[in-house]
Amino acid sequence: MSPQPNAVTKPGLWRRAQIKSEERLHVRLESLLVLIGLGVIMSFLSPYFLSVSNFLNILLATSTIGVLAIAATFVLGSGGLDLSLGSVMGLSGVAGAFVAVNLGLPSALGVAAGIGAGAAAGYINGKLVTRAFVPAFIVTLGMMGLARGLALVISDGRVIYGLPSALLYLGQGRPFGIPMPVIIFFTVVLITHYILAFTRFGRYTLAIGDNENAARTAGIDVATHRVILYTLSGGLAGLAGMLFMARINSGDPTAGISYELTAITAAIIGGTNLFGGRGSILGAVIGALIMGVLQNGLNLLAVQSYYQIMAIGAVLIFAVFIDQYQIRKAADT
Amino acid sequence: MLRIAKKINRFTATAAVAVALTLGGGSAAFAQDGEYAILMKTLANPFWGAMGLGVEEGAAEAGVAYFIQAVESDQAAESQLNVCNTMLERKPVAMITAAINSTNLLPCLKAAQESGIKVVDLDGNLDPDILAAEGIEITFRIGSDNVAAGAQGADYMVSQLGADAVGAILVIEGLSGNITGQKRASGFADRLAELAPGLEIVASLPGDWDRGKAATITNDIMIRNPNLLGIFAANDGMALGAVESVFAAGKGGDVVIIGVDGNSDAVKSIKSGRLSASVAQLPYLVGKQAVENVQRALAGEDVPSNVDVPTMVLTQEILAAGTEPMLEFVK
Repeated sequence: MSPQPNAVTKPGLWRRAQIKSEERLHVRLESLLVLIGLGVIMSFLSPYFLSVSNFLNILLATSTIGVLAIAATFVLGSGGLDLSLGSVMGLSGVAGAFVAVNLGLPSALGVAAGIGAGAAAGYINGKLVTRAFVPAFIVTLGMMGLARGLALVISDGRVIYGLPSALLYLGQGRPFGIPMPVIIFFTVVLITHYILAFTRFGRYTLAIGDNENAARTAGIDVATHRVILYTLSGGLAGLAGMLFMARINSGDPTAGISYELTAITAAIIGGTNLFGGRGSILGAVIGALIMGVLQNGLNLLAVQSYYQIMAIGAVLIFAVFIDQYQIRKAADT
Repeated sequence: MLRIAKKINRFTATAAVAVALTLGGGSAAFAQDGEYAILMKTLANPFWGAMGLGVEEGAAEAGVAYFIQAVESDQAAESQLNVCNTMLERKPVAMITAAINSTNLLPCLKAAQESGIKVVDLDGNLDPDILAAEGIEITFRIGSDNVAAGAQGADYMVSQLGADAVGAILVIEGLSGNITGQKRASGFADRLAELAPGLEIVASLPGDWDRGKAATITNDIMIRNPNLLGIFAANDGMALGAVESVFAAGKGGDVVIIGVDGNSDAVKSIKSGRLSASVAQLPYLVGKQAVENVQRALAGEDVPSNVDVPTMVLTQEILAAGTEPMLEFVK
């Protein structure tokens, strides 16, 4: 068959699949295929990969970073940046454990303290960015140090061990054989995906990221919206801190070091634009899963972790390359 | 059609890159029966590298299959837990672990115990009380006696300064809250108070295992106590940081500086007369004996719950003489 002159009006099979994937799932077809492809490759390479217990294992390992990647997607999608995610996660774990263990208060208060500490840190980030006009990079970089230091101060540099059983269930319980962190993670994914993809709040978020001035002219209260986004981001980091804290039965002040970069990586592999205007929660989750599968498979093959870091770096660049390539292609035709 | 073919080609390229990445990472190793799983912190530190070497050579000598994993840094607590869980999928017979802290591996070790996998604590990173609270029974703990190592440091310090010496001593602790660093520092302080009451520890500060931080601490304390007589650092990296500060201040040779670990950088520094001594742990021997003891435990023999591997003081004389039989294990 010769190339069709009117190819623009009749998109090819691949293009149609791409559009379907974007419209229905808000996910780039490429990232989905890379994830599936990686899974197939790992199944061939390691006899241990293809099993329910290993899949649950991957999901469990991805739950913390996945929640952080969701937080990163909201902030990046609005053209912001949150470098304090990892530190805030560490602070929340310590705050939760401190309330539940050292103060001996009920577990629910521990969770509230953990998520609250995260949200508070996020709120401060948001206020400083919008009201004090300090760049997001600087504000959240500062918060990275503040939160980490506070976590070390509260815990006196030690892990706070021995959570009450209700909190432990959050990290170690397995209703229907599925780890609790995975269930919580999926719940968060569904809710936040709905918010970003189908609500006015979500549309405003991406609109601000796309063109802040236009959004303001259109009547969006950009400053308030940003404060809410940073608070949400901090709260989600707090939730991630709770999940990890409950998994290891302790608040670890060093938890989550450099996780902000991993979370941003996952969001970008999943198709979020580093400079805002485009972002998808399911995409970020797929990005996190691509890294999770890669790490899990390489671990099963007993490949040293140094190569894993290299592999993830390469995947990141490759994902953005594919993206840019298609944008330029689309601009050409 | 051409367009579609092009797109498909691109996807094939994606897959090919992924395969290349995977294969490039290392040879695909498949398990055999009775594999030993060894989980380290990071191999970037020569200490853990030497221990890994001991494990490898011990396993080769004993003829057992093993696979060894490490994480990217000695603070990657969660990623170590994830790696640990993944290693269990290979169903090893023994899980030899050097945990990053006393709690990060707990769920994995519990799961290992439930599947009847023998759990070994490499280098005493787990807290016996916490293990008891979690209901985890480890097969044995193997490592250096850190209190004794600190005490050996004090012995050497007093042998250099004299039991009647009066003056200021600086102690640089490890990461705040880390049990290993605490044991070394307290072992040193207790023995020093016993042997030479005139030597006063003017400061005991956490250097977080960090060379630069230790150098800064040393600078600061030397301003306050210009006549500092000795420095004990809870590891060699920090001791070497202290050495740099002392020599930069023009006090090289006046201050007795002792580290712990006996790593290759420290050995070089001792040979060149900068670092005074290092209480050498023998990580190579720890790794080797760990494998040997697991093999014994699996064969049903009795293994003590606490295997102490000796430490030795490395000095310029001992290194120059080279007659000490344990020197062959200093790697």
